[in-house]
Amino acid sequence: MTTHQLNVNGRNHSVDVDADTPLLWVLRDTLGLTGTKFGCGQGVCGACTVHLGGKAVKACQTSLQEAAGHAITTVEGLSKDGSHPVQKAWLAEDVAQCGYCQPGMIMSAAALLHHKPHPTDYDIDAAFADHVCRCGTYPRVRSAVKRAAGGAK
Amino acid sequence: MTSRRDFLRVMGGTGTGLVLGLCLEPRVRAGEVAKTEFHPNVFLALRRDGTVRLTVPKTEMGQGVRTALPLVLAEEMDLDWARIEVVNAQPGPDFKSMQTGGSTSVSSTWLPLRRAGATAREMLKAAAAAQWKVGLEQCRTGNGFVLGPAGQKVGYGDLAEDAAKQPVPKDPPLKKAADYRLVGKPTLRFDGKAIVTGKAIFGLDVRRPGQRYAALLRCPVPGGQPRTWDAAKAMAVRGVQAVVQVPSGLAVVASSTWAAFKGRDALAATTSWDEGAAKDFSTAGLEARMRTALTGPAEEARKEGDPEQALEAASRRIEADYSFPYQAHATVEPMNAVVQLGSESAELWTGTQSPNHAQEQAAEALGFKPEQLKLNVALLGGGFGRRLGTDFSTEAAQVAKAAGGGPIQVVWDREDEFRHDLYHPATLHRLQAGLDAKGALSAWTHRVAGPAILRSWLSGQKSPAQASVETNGAADNPYAIPAMRVDFAEVEVPTPLGWWRGIEIVPNVFARECFLDEIAHAQGRDPLQVRLEFLGDRGLVKFGQDEADLRRLKKVLQVAAEKAGWGRKLPAGHGLGLACHAYDGRSYAAQVAEVSVVKGRLKVHKITCAVDCGPVVNPAGLQAQVEGGIVFGLSALFTQITWEKGRTVQTGYLDFPLLRLADTPVIETHVVVGSDTPTGIGEPPVPLPIPAVLNALFAATGKRIRTLPLLPESLA
Ligand code: FES
Ligand code: FES
Repeated sequence: MTTHQLNVNGRNHSVDVDADTPLLWVLRDTLGLTGTKFGCGQGVCGACTVHLGGKAVKACQTSLQEAAGHAITTVEGLSKDGSHPVQKAWLAEDVAQCGYCQPGMIMSAAALLHHKPHPTDYDIDAAFADHVCRCGTYPRVRSAVKRAAGGAK
Repeated sequence: MTSRRDFLRVMGGTGTGLVLGLCLEPRVRAGEVAKTEFHPNVFLALRRDGTVRLTVPKTEMGQGVRTALPLVLAEEMDLDWARIEVVNAQPGPDFKSMQTGGSTSVSSTWLPLRRAGATAREMLKAAAAAQWKVGLEQCRTGNGFVLGPAGQKVGYGDLAEDAAKQPVPKDPPLKKAADYRLVGKPTLRFDGKAIVTGKAIFGLDVRRPGQRYAALLRCPVPGGQPRTWDAAKAMAVRGVQAVVQVPSGLAVVASSTWAAFKGRDALAATTSWDEGAAKDFSTAGLEARMRTALTGPAEEARKEGDPEQALEAASRRIEADYSFPYQAHATVEPMNAVVQLGSESAELWTGTQSPNHAQEQAAEALGFKPEQLKLNVALLGGGFGRRLGTDFSTEAAQVAKAAGGGPIQVVWDREDEFRHDLYHPATLHRLQAGLDAKGALSAWTHRVAGPAILRSWLSGQKSPAQASVETNGAADNPYAIPAMRVDFAEVEVPTPLGWWRGIEIVPNVFARECFLDEIAHAQGRDPLQVRLEFLGDRGLVKFGQDEADLRRLKKVLQVAAEKAGWGRKLPAGHGLGLACHAYDGRSYAAQVAEVSVVKGRLKVHKITCAVDCGPVVNPAGLQAQVEGGIVFGLSALFTQITWEKGRTVQTGYLDFPLLRLADTPVIETHVVVGSDTPTGIGEPPVPLPIPAVLNALFAATGKRIRTLPLLPESLA
């Protein structure tokens, strides 16, 4: 039994769980950060998307070992008060329906814009290829990403 | 109908501000007796600080009720929109019939909420008038204040106590639509910020002190039971604390979700099953039985004239079979519930569309009376009818009872979702039409063969309404045809079934609207003209229990066609197709799809939708519902659940290709307001994308698709 050091949203935690535990469950069950969602556990719905060293990854497919030593950002840590441009664009476009898939979408959008401040439609398609929204918010997701890229209004 | 006197009462005592209880009138169906006792199920509480708490028996699941309902109240009451708080009712003596489904939340609450708002407003004015010693007619209201003739101004909160002592006005005047300042203006949903910051608490996010987690090992065949197993293998996994048997399988209780999942996998390797009655069920077998049922006995849902004779006499006959597969709900949040059990009482947290049933059944599983179980309705990560079921909350109660101890959260995983859904069943359709010498439609028959969702919902009982429910969308065929028969041939299945967004209307309208397109093309005529002609000039038409205004249906059809540029010259390889429907005779929708086939793949470029669901409370919410409904409907063109040896072949999203962002067409929504009562929008757009797209595909390629799902090879 070993403890693992994790840096989540700028804070260090040492957690004592099995090394094969996916990051998703460490966040949700051990650290109580439930903003990162469980949708499939199979790497195909995107609900669990977080940033690992600035890149969007699926927390259900990332083991604790892989996560240790990198800066992890979850939706709770994206901004202090919902003021990240992506969050603001999301509100302005009234994207959410049930809201469940949205933290994952927002994390993918933030990572996309960080690496490509002016994404094309094709870039947006590709960034959300692994996201499922059963409520069908896709048209507004596209508009919100474009709004955030145009500078927060 | 409940009498006016019994509709609303002042509930508050001194010190509580103004509390009004109102009784929502349920839609009374033929044969039901209206209740005459006063059971308020909506509460409006104006506190002394001027804030208002509205307690509603409707579940938020993304459809925006928690924004739309307070808007209606705030409008009539002239409230400051920012000071309303909406809370979900808890089931109990006050809330006996909470259910969210069938696109009824706004339509069923519209008038009662307006009357309640107007009543409160008039009582506040009366209290102010008494204070100022002026006439009631000299007082006005605005944004949470009563304003007097000499410039007096007092906040609602300061008047709350006095207002509660005023007589309840008999017929408070309702605002005119022209005076609305909130209703009809786009309003952002009120809890958006909690969602984008990850703070919104869905059922799966509930965390109680000392909470444990459980995963269920279920027989892959619905209804099967474990025969032998070795719990020691699961107990050897770190964090696993117990393995208990419940009716739905073996529950592995652990200190974390992951440990529960790992324990369950270890247990699976040691378990043998008695697979039960469904073990030989297969899609191929079901299809053969449905095919037989196409010509066997059936129950009539609608008959006019003599369709057999009319088909016989027709100068031209057209016949086609359509097939629609099983579907899953596939909500992104898997089913879950937390149960905390005490010796005399218990508490349950879950996202449910049926709080009363969830409470009753979980209490029963615990050996309690409903009032001993407190139910907390969490946010739903998607409903679509799946959470009208109570299987998951009852199961959590059973697990808590068997395992004892503190709070336990039962968590389903994605495979559980696909293997143990309350499915929308497959259906097979045979349609026949006769054309007379002049090309007019003289006969129409539509046989729907398949399982009865309603019977499954009623635990195997057959309802007298079965044929009419299962042919919804077929039996209310709006076209004028002198001889018609629509009937339902039941084929029983051993799998669970349930309500799915759009219900039977999705397959039935798919068959009806595509077949009508076939008729138009067989005649070499324009599908829009044919529809307009067959709808005729009939106005109000009665079908069974519903009555539809065909002028409204024609209007949305014309608007959608005009906005989509019906008849314009299209880019090479593109086609336009359309479909329309009067949903339960209440809401009207028409869609035009533009598609092309690129490298053997269907591309849906755009869907133009026109809807008429009466006055729109929140245009932003309406547009979201139309977009969501179209994405949901369009996904069903590609997805299916199939069965082999009693198990679903599909176990995850990879096998169930829901629409993704890249495949989503441009969606354009146009609103027509054809009445003064709102009638619901969650489901009406859902049935139309499939027929509109397939009719467009035919226009583009000459290929007629009659069997779903649409697979890549269907386009080859
Ligand atoms: S939960 Fe990780 S991709 Fe679905
Ligand atoms: S908003 Fe409900 S799943 Fe995306």
